[in-house]
Amino acid sequence: MTGNKADTEATNFLYPFIDAEERDSKSLLDDLAESARSKAAESAALRRSTLEANEALVATAAAEMARRFAAGGRLFTFGNGGSSTDSTTLAALFARPPSGDPLPAWSLTTDQAILTALGNDVGFELVFARQLIARSRSGDIAIAMSTSGSSPDLMVALREARRRGLYTIGFAGYDGGSFATSPDVDVCFVVRSQSVHRIQEAQALLGYQLWESVHSQGADA
Amino acid sequence: MIPTAIDRGLGDDLASDLAAAALTLARKFSDGATMWSLAPSWAPHAQHIAVEFVHPVIVGKRALPAVALIGPDFVSAARVSVRPGDIVIAVADADDPAVRSVMRRAPAWGATTLWIGNGARPPVGAADHVLWLDDPDPRTPATGGFVLLYHLLWELTHVCFEHPGLMKAGNGECSEDVCVTCSDEGRLGEVLTSSVEGVARVRTGGGEEAVSTVLVEPVAPGELVLVHAGMAISKVGEEA
Repeated sequence: MTGNKADTEATNFLYPFIDAEERDSKSLLDDLAESARSKAAESAALRRSTLEANEALVATAAAEMARRFAAGGRLFTFGNGGSSTDSTTLAALFARPPSGDPLPAWSLTTDQAILTALGNDVGFELVFARQLIARSRSGDIAIAMSTSGSSPDLMVALREARRRGLYTIGFAGYDGGSFATSPDVDVCFVVRSQSVHRIQEAQALLGYQLWESVHSQGADA
Repeated sequence: MIPTAIDRGLGDDLASDLAAAALTLARKFSDGATMWSLAPSWAPHAQHIAVEFVHPVIVGKRALPAVALIGPDFVSAARVSVRPGDIVIAVADADDPAVRSVMRRAPAWGATTLWIGNGARPPVGAADHVLWLDDPDPRTPATGGFVLLYHLLWELTHVCFEHPGLMKAGNGECSEDVCVTCSDEGRLGEVLTSSVEGVARVRTGGGEEAVSTVLVEPVAPGELVLVHAGMAISKVGEEA
């Protein structure tokens, strides 16, 4: 190893990051901080443009949600992976809000017994649809969160939701995927980005905006 | 009304904090760490962090061991899970009692700590890395601000893996196993058993050891003490 090292050392200064010889972390830390600032700026710009592009759609969806909540409707949210946690945060925002009245909302990913029973017994595509069959009724609301907008389990659930008279809302990224063109989706919010991370950050803010609009539409009354 | 979360850029301090935290995470993961996440008030954030690292959204990035700790007793869950060299990451307000307790004990478990939150900051030194949004708005956890922070943390950590030469702390940086200056001052220990004839089992960053407790008796399991040369020299109070 030492012989090899001696051979290469003479030219290493030309390639500061070429191999495991790198020792000074300052330059990397500077690059990381700059990268963080740049990605955060990209995220903020996307969140702003997403809110602007979806302003009318948020108002439309919030009005219908407020009408349904006022008439006794309930909200079910669902998604896969990171989107499942974001949909749980959204359900919690409705059910345990930092201000305003709580509204009945649940995430369909919180019960592992139900998820694994359905996944094992009837297949993963039905993990959300089957819960909607058991729990939902006409007048309720379904929100599916996804970055691709095309996950089979979400598509099946939205079809079931629509069939049962639920108001169906899809959150998607990229070009909207299957949500954007599906007849089973009443309102589709599309975050036009190619980055899963930036899409999820913008969807979180969209969800928040939806919650705020529902309350300003008078769901508390 | 557009929430303030959208317009708040990433300040230079927070960007630097993220960079330093990412380098620490990459080094710890390279040494075999598992990352334990907890978010007592916002469990989905703990789970999002875990799935982010375990199942990366970018194909080809390595899966890293990360696990969300679930309540009700976060301190007990962390105590039985964390091993020396591991990472504990919390998403919580500065006054969250479970997270405060876990963070205080983490050095005795040999863990490196990160704390994400907003509003009033935790006291200086409460965690090894504090990633904080100063906006006190209680709705911040639901607007994507925290999601952005742990996404950036994941992205930057994977950038660090492209610099294998930096995966060990370099000269002049403190590596806790060998840093004489640090170990001389006394190590934090968590008492495991009541003392018998002046000796108790104590958990420190290096593992379990028998420690003389004659200077601090009585001691009870769960109490924190400073250990120096095989002896507990003082108790560490709640607000230390």
